[in-house]
Amino acid sequence: MSRIELVQGTLDMLILETLRWGAQHGYGIAQAIRAGSSDVLQVETGSLYPALHRLERQRFIKAEWKQSENRQRAKYYSLTAAGRKHLAAERERWSQVSAAIAALMKARESEA
Amino acid sequence: MKWRKRNDDLDEEIRAHLAMAARDRVERGESPADAAFNARREFGNEALVKEITREMWGWTAIQRFYQDVRYALRQMRRSPGFTAVAVLTLALGLGAATAMFSIVNGVLLRPLEYHDPGRLFVARTVLPPEARIAHDFPINARHFAEWRAHCRSCESVSLIQMADLTLVGAGEPVKLYALKTSWNFFQTLGVHPVLGRDFLPGEERGLGQVILSDSLWRSRFRADPSILGRAIQLNGEPHTVIGVMPRSLVLPRGDQWGSLFGPAEEPLIFEPLGFDPSQLRANNLNYTSVIRLKPGVSRGQASAELNALLADFVRQDHLQTKIALFPLLEQVTRNARTSLLLLLGAVGAVLLIVCVNVGNLMLVQTAGRYREAGVRLALGASRTRLFGQMLKEALVLVAMGGTLGLLLAYAGLKLFAAAAPIDLPRLEEAHIDWHVLAFGLASAAFSTFTCGLVPAWNLSRTEPLDSLKASAGATESGHKLRFREILVGLEVALSTVLLSVGGLLLLSFVKVMHVDKGFETERVVTQDISFLSPKYAHGGRARVLRLMLEQLARIPGVRAVGATSRLPLTGEDWIANLHDPDSSRPERDEPLANFRFVTPDYWRAMGIPLVRGRFFRENEWSQQVAIVSEGAARFLWPGQDPIGRHVRGLGGAGPAFDVVGVVGEVPAGPLDQNRPTMVYTPYSFESPVGVSLVLRTAGDPDSAIRAARAMLAQIDPEMALPPAQTMEQILDASVAARRFEMRLAVAFALAALLLAGLGICGVISFAVARRRPEIGIRIAMGAQSGQVIAMVLRQGMRPVLPGLLAGVAGAMASSRLLTGELYQVAPRDPRLILGVAAVMLSTALVACWLPARRGAATDPIAALRAE
Repeated sequence: MSRIELVQGTLDMLILETLRWGAQHGYGIAQAIRAGSSDVLQVETGSLYPALHRLERQRFIKAEWKQSENRQRAKYYSLTAAGRKHLAAERERWSQVSAAIAALMKARESEA
Repeated sequence: MKWRKRNDDLDEEIRAHLAMAARDRVERGESPADAAFNARREFGNEALVKEITREMWGWTAIQRFYQDVRYALRQMRRSPGFTAVAVLTLALGLGAATAMFSIVNGVLLRPLEYHDPGRLFVARTVLPPEARIAHDFPINARHFAEWRAHCRSCESVSLIQMADLTLVGAGEPVKLYALKTSWNFFQTLGVHPVLGRDFLPGEERGLGQVILSDSLWRSRFRADPSILGRAIQLNGEPHTVIGVMPRSLVLPRGDQWGSLFGPAEEPLIFEPLGFDPSQLRANNLNYTSVIRLKPGVSRGQASAELNALLADFVRQDHLQTKIALFPLLEQVTRNARTSLLLLLGAVGAVLLIVCVNVGNLMLVQTAGRYREAGVRLALGASRTRLFGQMLKEALVLVAMGGTLGLLLAYAGLKLFAAAAPIDLPRLEEAHIDWHVLAFGLASAAFSTFTCGLVPAWNLSRTEPLDSLKASAGATESGHKLRFREILVGLEVALSTVLLSVGGLLLLSFVKVMHVDKGFETERVVTQDISFLSPKYAHGGRARVLRLMLEQLARIPGVRAVGATSRLPLTGEDWIANLHDPDSSRPERDEPLANFRFVTPDYWRAMGIPLVRGRFFRENEWSQQVAIVSEGAARFLWPGQDPIGRHVRGLGGAGPAFDVVGVVGEVPAGPLDQNRPTMVYTPYSFESPVGVSLVLRTAGDPDSAIRAARAMLAQIDPEMALPPAQTMEQILDASVAARRFEMRLAVAFALAALLLAGLGICGVISFAVARRRPEIGIRIAMGAQSGQVIAMVLRQGMRPVLPGLLAGVAGAMASSRLLTGELYQVAPRDPRLILGVAAVMLSTALVACWLPARRGAATDPIAALRAE
């Protein structure tokens, strides 16, 4: 199965969604997205880290250094209140867009 | 500090990522070494990830700028020769452009420092085209009286006239130029005395009040404030000082007010202008009127009203005159305008060539860096980053060149002010202000882009793999060469245009200098004197003058002495209708003539040839005799003998004069202007106050004029004697503006030629260096050095020919703008264009030949071994 690379807006949403379950570091977020999508969605580090730093700058997430369970010092990101709100809005938009696309594709399918 | 901390954080964040990824892999059973390697491979390009992550921080732009500048400085240190050449040429180009612009800014663009100068106009008389002397003239004082009383469009109407005075009692007696003004002149301009008061309405009747200029107040009265109310001796009469004008007051000089205003001297003193309207003759056009319009009144409305007010006079006087209003600023700058804009254009073209050259040098410079660029791209540098970095290298060069250039501009401006002919208006107002700085910055930005764009584009388009594969000696890809050829072509085109402009001005100058002047300049020396003191009553002047001439003629080495009311080349003066009392020609068809009041030996002293008849005799000082110029004779009596005919004197009144001789034409004003018809009558008929003595000497005029001045001082110790001038000096001064413009244009053209030559030479040298192995093979295979040279020349000249053609076309197109600056040279003179093309071609050939010869001298073995 081919892996799909994520576009920026979608990646932002998925990062925020992943962080809804608790603070996580960059590697963890990448793993979570990959696992959560059964290896379909691939997160490039060249997209992930810029996205994390951008979201941090936009104050949707905040970061702190913590020890992982394996005693590895890592930078953990967690959602802020603004991030939660942003996520809710994104989720709303996403469901509208995907419903619209799904309807469109269905129509095409029945035509064919 | 914060930057470093964030950088360290990012490093650690990514280290942690790699560590965790590796640990997961070990848990899945990979060996630690494999795990670390695979984690790294999966992560991707670490440097690139860091780079684009950093971009999210927002202030990377500044940081990167700083980094790039430091990198650029390092690059420049590595190639000091290139840097020096680039910075110096940029400094010269930017410096010259900035200096030239600050002059244009000061002279043409900055508004006059009067109150609301947009409403100030100079009123001039415009004669019908038959008058054939000048475009416009001063006005009649009656016009002024009428306007001042009735003009509703005008807020204020003022009148001025130039006069000279002798100041006695404050140091040596000195001749001063004064401005006689109606009482409201300064009020009209909106300037006020810095000390004392302005004139009052009642003071036009000559009650002896004067206002001093700042420079007279400082030079003659030690800036003493108690001068107010004191009496000073002017022309032997006491005058009371009532005010001093500020140092910042800059008034137009001489012809800047319009033709026939007077000498281009700074007026040092101001006195009220009173006139008795009953004495004014209809065609006496002696005054200049400065008018301030009411707010909201257009120039057209105002001139319509001024003309309407004069309708009655015009009918009475049978003169088809009209009044035109000229904006004061335009009037002040009209002579210099074309010339300055032309020079600014030329300097702009030079700057463009400089930029192209530096851009070319940078291209050559970066050619060695494609491999570096390839490596950096392979390691993850972005193309925009490379592009920006290259632009910043250009920026650093331009910044250094620009700073140096600004210093040069400052020095250049001083030099220019010292070298410029005096009649360049408002030159003292040229200095470096924020307009100039803005211009300098804009040209620097422009330079950065023109220098940096092509190299930056080239470098950022590098294909990493190709650049790494290619050996240093490989030929460049075609489009990179093409870029350079286009640049060379552009340089050639611009230089060709500049060369043709410089050539046209040079030819004109040569033509002007070789024109038959109509008089002699060698060993002729002149001394101005003026009979200002009241002791010289009108009738007494001729007697004193005659005595002086007799004394001067006895000085050893003096061949002939004469006097005239005005010397050739120093301007038109004493203009009136030329009237033949025996003809029925209507007055409006009469030409205007310049009248000169001379003594019998004047023509012999000046070397003006006699064409027919005879000169005045010594006993004819007050006889009704006249001598006319060839042009006057041709006009009045075409095909007939002028001797024995009659002309009316100045102003058309009085008895007729017998024409006894015809002399050659001499220029009244500049050499390159039409020579007016001229009528000479004996001095006594007008006895003008100002007289120029003319001495022709056998040998060195220096000792003769020294003796002459001593003798004059003996005759009247109170007479002010301005420095004597040889006719050569007067000639020099009269062509100074033209010479100056020509020299600058030729200098710019030569600079352009040199730069273009350097540019071509640089490009070809580089191409030869890159092709050295190939040339080595050719020589090894038996190519003769002539063949190698021919090959290089063919390559080198390829962009030159189209550039030359484009340049010739550009020169043809732009020559029309030059017409006003040329003299007896066709703007598209084919010989000149051929000459320019030949100069350009031979320069290009030499520039190609030098590297070609070096290429032909390639030692094949050494060249191939270097591979």
